[in-house]
Amino acid sequence: MSNSRSKRRRASHLGALPLTSMIDVVFLLLIFFLITADFAKPENKLPAALQTEGGGVRSSDLQPQIIQISLLENRSVFTIGQVQCADRVSLEQILSQLPRDAGVAIKAEPDVPIQAVATALQAARNAGFTRRSYVPSEPSE
Amino acid sequence: MLSVDLTAMIDVVFQLIIFFMFTSQFGELRRTEIDLPREQGEDEPDKAQAAMIIDLTGDGTYLFESKPVSILEIERLAASGIASQDPSQPFDVLIRPDRNAPAVHLDRLLLRLSNVGVQRWKLATVEEGVAP
Repeated sequence: MSNSRSKRRRASHLGALPLTSMIDVVFLLLIFFLITADFAKPENKLPAALQTEGGGVRSSDLQPQIIQISLLENRSVFTIGQVQCADRVSLEQILSQLPRDAGVAIKAEPDVPIQAVATALQAARNAGFTRRSYVPSEPSE
Repeated sequence: MLSVDLTAMIDVVFQLIIFFMFTSQFGELRRTEIDLPREQGEDEPDKAQAAMIIDLTGDGTYLFESKPVSILEIERLAASGIASQDPSQPFDVLIRPDRNAPAVHLDRLLLRLSNVGVQRWKLATVEEGVAP
């Protein structure tokens, strides 16, 4: 007898719950988590200075190492002085043997994919070069 | 005694939180889908917002705020951006290129930016594992 009374009391308590407001808050929570969830791919950045051809080295008398990127049989080739390589690991190894004070300048031929420019910038960063600059080529026409 | 309706208050608080989160992230949400170069980038995430973000598609089209723009228009926008910005702050340009786009389009853009006084730029990349 007393058991059925307590059940009834609990039922009346549940009935008193403001269902509309609760659904309101639940939906707000749902929208909140949907918006805060990061669906976009995280992007990183590779900073570089901008140097024009013939602009010279403004902050130092030292000449920077020049990485020339060209396309050979549809593959990007990185040339530093007389040394050539085709991948980032080899480029990193070559760069790590060079003095870092003068910095590094990157130049690319017009038909080279931008991926190769990013690879050269990344290799210079990984090799410990803090002064990295990109030298855009003047249009040939 | 004055009683506060907790449900209504939570309701309003969440509305405000969502409003501020949505308005602050709106610029990020408008990123154009581009196959970025696959590199690790800098170790420390760059918290500084770029003053100007330019997208470069595979066919050499420049996009500013997801709309195609001419290189002259970019030059004009950069010049007015530099003129209106605090001179002590660097004018950072973030370029989001298609990884297969030829470097000639990047060079053309950077030469124009250099003409108006841009000295630093950033190349957007995406990590290998994250890229599709």
